[in-house]
Amino acid sequence: MGTIRVRFIIVALVVSFFAVGMAAFLNYFKYKSTISSIVRSRVLVIGRNIENSVQASLSVGMQFMEIGTMNALLARERAADRLIQGIDVFDHTGQVIYSTERARVGEKVPNVWTDAAARSKTTEWGTEGADEYVAGISLKNNFDLTVGYLALRYSSEEVERAAKAAGREILLASIFSFLGIALVAPLALIVVIRRFERDLRALEAAASRLEDRNDASLPAGSAFDTAIGNLRSSLRDANSSLDDLRARLDTAG
Amino acid sequence: MLEKNYLWRIYWRLAGVIMVCVVVALAVVSYFSHHVFDQELVPETEQKAATVGASVRALVLKATSYGIDFSQLYGVEQTFAEVFEENPEFAYMAITNTDGNVLYTRGTEPIGARTHFRNAVVLQMAHETSEISKAARVGQQYIVSVPINDNGKPLGILHVGIDAAFVDHVLLEVLLDVVVVLVVSLFFTLELLNFMAGARLASGLGEFARQVDRMRAGDFTATARVRANDEIGRLLRRIDSAIDHLNVRYEFLAGELQDKLRTATGARREALKPAQQAFETLSKRFRFGAAPEAADLDEMNLNRIRAPLFAFILAEELTRSYLPSYVNQLLVTIPGISPQVVIGLPIMLFMLIVALGQPYLGSWSERVGRRRAMLVGAIMATVGFAGTALAYNLYDLILWRSLCALGYAMVFVAAQGYVLDRTGQQNRAQGFALFIGAIMVATVCGPSIGGILADNIGYRASFGVSALMALVSILAINRLPTVEIRTAAMKPTRGPRMREIMALLVNRRFMTLTGLAAMPAKIILTGVCFYLVPLYIVSIGNTSAMAGRMLMVYAVMMVLIVPLSASLSDATMRRDRYVSVGLIISGLSGLLLLLSESFLVLFGVVFLLGLGQALSIAAQSALVAEHCQDEIRIYGNDAVYGVYRLLERLGNALGPLIASLLVIVWGYQGAFVAISALVLFCGIAFTVATHGSDWQPAAVAQ
Repeated sequence: MGTIRVRFIIVALVVSFFAVGMAAFLNYFKYKSTISSIVRSRVLVIGRNIENSVQASLSVGMQFMEIGTMNALLARERAADRLIQGIDVFDHTGQVIYSTERARVGEKVPNVWTDAAARSKTTEWGTEGADEYVAGISLKNNFDLTVGYLALRYSSEEVERAAKAAGREILLASIFSFLGIALVAPLALIVVIRRFERDLRALEAAASRLEDRNDASLPAGSAFDTAIGNLRSSLRDANSSLDDLRARLDTAG
Repeated sequence: MLEKNYLWRIYWRLAGVIMVCVVVALAVVSYFSHHVFDQELVPETEQKAATVGASVRALVLKATSYGIDFSQLYGVEQTFAEVFEENPEFAYMAITNTDGNVLYTRGTEPIGARTHFRNAVVLQMAHETSEISKAARVGQQYIVSVPINDNGKPLGILHVGIDAAFVDHVLLEVLLDVVVVLVVSLFFTLELLNFMAGARLASGLGEFARQVDRMRAGDFTATARVRANDEIGRLLRRIDSAIDHLNVRYEFLAGELQDKLRTATGARREALKPAQQAFETLSKRFRFGAAPEAADLDEMNLNRIRAPLFAFILAEELTRSYLPSYVNQLLVTIPGISPQVVIGLPIMLFMLIVALGQPYLGSWSERVGRRRAMLVGAIMATVGFAGTALAYNLYDLILWRSLCALGYAMVFVAAQGYVLDRTGQQNRAQGFALFIGAIMVATVCGPSIGGILADNIGYRASFGVSALMALVSILAINRLPTVEIRTAAMKPTRGPRMREIMALLVNRRFMTLTGLAAMPAKIILTGVCFYLVPLYIVSIGNTSAMAGRMLMVYAVMMVLIVPLSASLSDATMRRDRYVSVGLIISGLSGLLLLLSESFLVLFGVVFLLGLGQALSIAAQSALVAEHCQDEIRIYGNDAVYGVYRLLERLGNALGPLIASLLVIVWGYQGAFVAISALVLFCGIAFTVATHGSDWQPAAVAQ
């Protein structure tokens, strides 16, 4: 197989690998982000219930730090979805005020939580840790002032499991597609570059007989015919002139 | 002679075949992905529907606990509407009583829903007291049913309908990215064909064509070149061999004649005269011996610049669609400066460093060598990209971006010099076509792929990818020839002097071209494309990938229209008209946002901007040579073009600054409109200023 043909086939394989790889990458990440957002919005449905209760308490004049039913409410809402591992309510310093786990009350939440809550342009925020994800809501009073933050911790396992399963299937589909291309593309390329290869062969054949004085046996009909003709006539001219010189030298003795 | 577009016809055929294969493969991947999405997303959404249903049920039970009759509840439809707003995948909600009669409903009812609600199995659910939900496919929806049971007393059933087409909607977004991948793949294919096969093929066939020309002109001088071991290399070796045979024959005959002449006397010397005359004629008609090295146009090495340049520019272009959003994320308050201006600061600084650095880095790269200058620049940029990826806040981000800018300017200038060094009068245009081609392809591929990456793997990791690309460019630069071919005869380049800058700044003709055309064109380019589009698209709830797609539209317009407009404006010699029309179209682009804020209109803005810029960009710099001949005679070509480029690039730096100030005053849409109006004004002013007879095409320029 000619080296040029091999190079063209390599190009086809590299481009196909890039395209199929990118498509697999896009589908996988789209799936992961979609499943993440579905799960997060599912968790936030419960968060909204808590938010409504907190706002109802605040609107009747209760202090945010002194909502007596809060821990019971959190425990009840946590039980509403098996996905939720725990619910915390913390203030702007990051100190936990209410939690489904008593031991966490008074503790500080990780800085990434407060950063994410502060950075968010809406009332919803979220972070993704190694083992658990957090979906949060900024709790506001009637004057639209943020009084604290609600954080719903849920297992990353659900998202990771689904993403892993989907990733495996997308990867398999991509591998088979790529293998399909790897088989078909070279054959299709060979068909397409046949004309080019024929031209090159004609050129090479002509070049191998550049110094022949006889034109009859040369292949014709390639894109290089004119160039080959020019090349041969130039060489013939030069050789004739040298022959003439040879003849004159011989005549001179 | 070889047809000019022979290779390109082959490339396009090959690219066509590769594209067909890629489309089929992408279709297969998309089909299977759809299957996976359907299989996994629907159950997950059903669970979400059950949770939402439980929340709505709690509200209903709260109302009934206050004694309100289940069939007389107020505001249920309103609650359903709020649920739809937050969950676009839900298409229908209804509450039925224990007989399956609909009491409350909202959304598009699927065909067969009423029958389904009266199904005995479904009705039985109302008596369930546990937290249970059931899903069934009804028409074009998946219906999730949740029992409403008040302490053992069945009240009814809540039904939530999930639009079965929501998976299609999710995949439609992916499809747009897949189309982007397809377009990028096409350009990538052409680039790779050129890099892996075409560069060698083109230079081989070019060398063959030149050899044919030389031989036709009687030049049989031998070149001592190492030929590649491929089809073209073998062909060239055979031609070399034929030339060598001729040279051997010639030298042998010349030696024999000299010997005979040296020893011959009298009549014998007379007899040698015809041979001597034949030798003289031969020497006049043909040239033999060794080819001078200067004749070597080094085309193979010229082509080798394309790959490193493409990889390096791609690294920077990848960041275009998301850089402002990333800066926004790392924003710190700078007293006295508006956040909008601060967001534009890294882009502004980048452009400023490139603008001010380029005139002086040209002579530096001559001194240290083009390859070395490119290596230094690429290393600096790689560090800059890596630093940007790890940036702590805006302050160090600015430092890293400055490093990227310096590296960019070094590589750009050194690559330009590399092309200049290896081209002569006859192939300079071809050299620059190669240079600009690499940049344009990177401009098409970079922003779109960068946006996709940023959306999926995050801004920091995407900058990591840019660092990786810059690293790849270092490897490619390393493969460039170590021997510089700059000769002593070549005039050293220099940056423009202050007195030249001042003199040209007050020159009416020069400033008409620069101040009314070149600078506004760059201001709208960087202001709109690099600053406003990425920020505005994200501000209206879209993604960086969408910003990338928009910028790709601009780049594709440039790739398609610039060659056409360049040849047309050259042919008609009315370059000023192309500049006028281009500026006016660019100026009208942003005004479209006065009609509507819709996304399609924004697409129209970028499309028109691309069209306007493509029409005017090629003609602009040619107009300088055409209409500033007096200035070129006085200050020299380097100085006039140096000042022109400097001011043009200052326009690049001004773009984000002007756009950010306009955003503060009028918001994003106002900024689009105002910056466009400014360019429209400049376009009209340029048209009026170049209307007179002294702006008719100059004969010399032809």
